[in-house]
Amino acid sequence: MTVTQAAVLLPEAEAPPACRREPPLRSEGSSPVKSAGSQVDDASNYVANAAAGDVSAFEHLYRTHLPRVHSLVRRMSGGRDADELTQDVFVRVWQKLGSFRGDSAFATWLHRLAVNVVIERFRQETTRRQRMHDGEEIFETLSAPVRSRDFPMDFEAALLSLPDGAREIFVLHDVEGYKHHEIGTLLEISAGTSKAQLHRARMMLRRYLNSER
Amino acid sequence: MVTMATEDPFNDRLSDYLDGEDLSPTERAEIEAHLATCATCETTLAELAAVAARARSLPDRPPVSDLWAGVSQRLTPAPAVLPFNRPAHRRFSFTLPQLIAAGLALMLLSGGMVWVARLGDPRTSLPSAVAQVAPEEGAPAGPATEDAEPASALSRVAFADPNYDQAVADLEKMLAANRSRLDPETVRILEANLQTIDQAIEQSRKALRADPANVYLNNHFAASRNRKIALLRRASALAMTQDAVGGS
Repeated sequence: MTVTQAAVLLPEAEAPPACRREPPLRSEGSSPVKSAGSQVDDASNYVANAAAGDVSAFEHLYRTHLPRVHSLVRRMSGGRDADELTQDVFVRVWQKLGSFRGDSAFATWLHRLAVNVVIERFRQETTRRQRMHDGEEIFETLSAPVRSRDFPMDFEAALLSLPDGAREIFVLHDVEGYKHHEIGTLLEISAGTSKAQLHRARMMLRRYLNSER
Repeated sequence: MVTMATEDPFNDRLSDYLDGEDLSPTERAEIEAHLATCATCETTLAELAAVAARARSLPDRPPVSDLWAGVSQRLTPAPAVLPFNRPAHRRFSFTLPQLIAAGLALMLLSGGMVWVARLGDPRTSLPSAVAQVAPEEGAPAGPATEDAEPASALSRVAFADPNYDQAVADLEKMLAANRSRLDPETVRILEANLQTIDQAIEQSRKALRADPANVYLNNHFAASRNRKIALLRRASALAMTQDAVGGS
């Protein structure tokens, strides 16, 4: 919706329609997507209807992709604000549906958008340098796998306990399948930093797997 | 405290070897040669591979609670609240349906309030001794602010308010001087809305002559005049921030 002189002069003017779409963006490109099994359906009809403003069709897309998105968000954020971030992702999807051109699978496009939303939140919180160097000490003090009431899996709990920077890169690389140069672009770091943080994360998680034996 | 630095320099390269990204044949051969002679690194490599494999097999889990309500509520965006100042190099054009809707809403609201007020509900009437056609005592000079609330139930309306009239005149003069900076369509719709507001003011004025103690009419009259002042101020300020038509 174009910002108008009218809206500046008359803020009581009619609200834009509920199904508004932002202008098409530059191509977001494709991104590697971890195999999602049967949960992710090719819902081209639902996508088309949702893009036309059909909320029930969008709800179908939401429920179909929710586990995938929430898992990604949860793991990248360390569980912090995961629900809120998940909602942010789907609201952004609704707003950007008009820009989905079908060049890639909808799940791929959605996944990339989710990553962008999470990274944007990161940028609002702390500097990139801080995220790459804090938190390792807490991992050293863990004597047993951390169990959360929401995430009973030991490995995922251990993943969530990683220092922020190492966790982000581990999730993007080992869980989601991004390459280091892609991670560098996303997080605005060098590929070398990405590699070092990945190795750091793996070495930490190695101890958890060893403790399970 | 355990640090990530180890005595074996090949340890830090094991993840690179495992992933094979950006690894030259020479580097790969070097690491493989070391692995053939180092059981520790060979074990570590296997453990790193297990970590990566475990990561790839992590199942997706939905959230504990249903988040749809929070999503669906946000699918209907609130009306945009736009900043007042704009960069000088930006140019704008009106969205005609927005302004027409605003103008119609203002006309309906104005006419409706006058109609309701003229019904003569005693509860909406001020004691005749309070309603006076006179300026407020101690009222500051100059135009009313756009945030000024309409007069209270005891407001007194001044049909001939020199301060208000001067403020309107000054703003109209300023707007006229900078009108060329606005899009013609913007000017046309601005004038249409000012006309609507003037009609509302006139309707209120006529009704108040017949019923000067009416609270609704008093408030409506004051609100309409405030709205005109606010619109003129915004239009003038907006025009002054724009480049002249034909400029960069």
